[in-house]
Amino acid sequence: MDIILGVRLQDCTLVATSKAATRGISVLKANDDKTRILNTHNLLAYTGEAGDTVQFAEYIQANIQLYLMRENDTELSPKATALFVRNQLATSLRSRKPYQVNVLIGGYDTKTDVPALSWIDYLGTHVELPYAAHGYAAFYCSSLFDRHYRKDMDLEAGLDLLRMCVKELEMRMPIDFKGVYVKVVGKDGVRAIEL
Amino acid sequence: MNTIASQFTQSASSRLQSEYADAQRDFSNAPQLNLAPTIELPPISQPTEFLRAHTDDASNPDCKIKIAHGTTTLAFRFQGGIVVAVDSRATAGNWIASQTVNKVIRINPFLLGTMAGGAADCQYWETWLGTQCRLHELREKERISVAAASKILGNLVYQYKGMGLSMGTMVCGYTKKEGPAIYYVDSDGTRMKGDLFCVGSGQTFAYGVLDSEYKWDLSVEEALYLGKRSILAATHRDAYSGGSINLYHVTENGWIYHGNHNVGDIFYDIKEKEQSFNNVDA
Amino acid sequence: MSDPSSINGGCAVAMVGKDCIAIACDLRLGNQSLSLANNFEKVFPFGDKTFLGLTGLASDVLTLKEDFRLKHNLYKLREEREIEPETLANLVSSSLYERRFGPYFVGPIVAGLHSKTNKPFICGFDLIGCIDFAKDFIVSGTASDQLYGMCESLYEPDLEPEDLFETISQALLNAVDRDALSGWGAVVYIVTKDKVVKRVLRTRQD
Repeated sequence: MDIILGVRLQDCTLVATSKAATRGISVLKANDDKTRILNTHNLLAYTGEAGDTVQFAEYIQANIQLYLMRENDTELSPKATALFVRNQLATSLRSRKPYQVNVLIGGYDTKTDVPALSWIDYLGTHVELPYAAHGYAAFYCSSLFDRHYRKDMDLEAGLDLLRMCVKELEMRMPIDFKGVYVKVVGKDGVRAIEL
Repeated sequence: MNTIASQFTQSASSRLQSEYADAQRDFSNAPQLNLAPTIELPPISQPTEFLRAHTDDASNPDCKIKIAHGTTTLAFRFQGGIVVAVDSRATAGNWIASQTVNKVIRINPFLLGTMAGGAADCQYWETWLGTQCRLHELREKERISVAAASKILGNLVYQYKGMGLSMGTMVCGYTKKEGPAIYYVDSDGTRMKGDLFCVGSGQTFAYGVLDSEYKWDLSVEEALYLGKRSILAATHRDAYSGGSINLYHVTENGWIYHGNHNVGDIFYDIKEKEQSFNNVDA
Repeated sequence: MSDPSSINGGCAVAMVGKDCIAIACDLRLGNQSLSLANNFEKVFPFGDKTFLGLTGLASDVLTLKEDFRLKHNLYKLREEREIEPETLANLVSSSLYERRFGPYFVGPIVAGLHSKTNKPFICGFDLIGCIDFAKDFIVSGTASDQLYGMCESLYEPDLEPEDLFETISQALLNAVDRDALSGWGAVVYIVTKDKVVKRVLRTRQD
């Protein structure tokens, strides 16, 4: 199971995704990036059914980009982005072949200067959380976040928290997930960062 | 026609009955078990399949008999001995059957057993283990080692493998020969020695906190707090864990009980003191 | 196990008092055994004195909340007045029956006071829109069995607002303490003819 984690900090949101792309008993790729940039201040991280994931992420990406072009470069807020994604998944759930994709959306609202993190699963369940994870990673990291997360964390404290999570996952998860990519979504947009 | 049919059914049922009576006689005549209860098997061809069909939630979600499940238990070794901590919730499906279950069985003043999985299985067999340990003591004029005690339990559950026993347990104790020791024993027949185990539906949450703060050099006070805090983390996130926390410390002088801590009472105190659980509004 | 109405957990309850009503819900949102959020409200206001509670599959709770918000706004524009609780109940019922052969997995409840007469009204529904009118109380969600037990024993008719608050709070709190999938906080609304009071209850966090 792929790992995706998200943490909302004082002035940005962190998103971490595992690098391994696993099919059956083989690791096919050790530098797989499970995120798509939707617009300057919104990042989508995904996990789920092979094939569905990238198709869905790129479909969302294309539609958010389309909105940007049609609305004269008006960016969709993190909240609006999350509700759009939720709506797509909830609609898909009652179709002939639902997308089986779980996502986290890390965002930064440039109007209010507030970072945001949304947890959305393939059923279309949506909640905004201070920290979140999908899959088995949630079972190990939730309690760690409960213990060590603080409301006023800066970037360095946030990265320390992610390091703790990765260390725990490396110790307890039965498969090698080849480490994580970390992205920061802040005032100046999305950037990658070394853990 | 009727007479032929009745003759046929008569002979078949009496054959079955006599077979059943034979089996019962064989079991109850076992010499060493005269006073001990015997475990009866239902008179059907595949008792294990029958049991599974009616009690196993995973293979048949509609099954009518819900065996009490769901737990978080932990034990770890450190510089000052062993800490054992457990929650106290029993659930049958989504129904909370009890918030006051005792999941630590005091086998003797030096041995503790933890319960996870089927509540009745653990309670029965760990009590049984207590009698076996006492018999060992009387025969050998020496307290049983943790290794031997856990092996008795391990061998017993292995005999019943595939018949639907469900238990995940830690046998914790102290002997002169071994020092402080923890053995993990489960109903698959796994038995292993280790320094740190978490068992039950909330195990991952307990591991999360425990791993991040565990050191061998923990003081006794720190270790007891860490044990309590790890179970608290699990009761918070795992729907099937909760109630209260029972705490034990095992030393060379035997185990010491460190009380029952109700989650409803201690949660907000710990949140306040640690400035943790920032997902919960004060 | 994969029953859609008990994946996320949660429950709601409504009661009638003397010229007042109360409606309450827990705040948990989970994914089977894993508790995710403790701020997931399941009771939504529609106008000044009418409330809709939605339990069941969280995705459908969100979808229906938005669907009824849209329909409520359109109603207000066309009628130039607030929707009555009875009318909302009929709207909920017919909306649910539109999905008769592919239902939303929810257990809605409606509670409110009539805008002119201030007559209390409560009702509940099954997932395809059958209305259950009640004079005393309505329960819904994964802790509904427990809520029935608490309400049957604690409820009495014609309670004043403060006593109704105490009764509904105790009923909810003690019910969710016996359900693994409910709890993690609670919200209670007390509605009287000129005031709505919302209270957040502090609960056990396991």
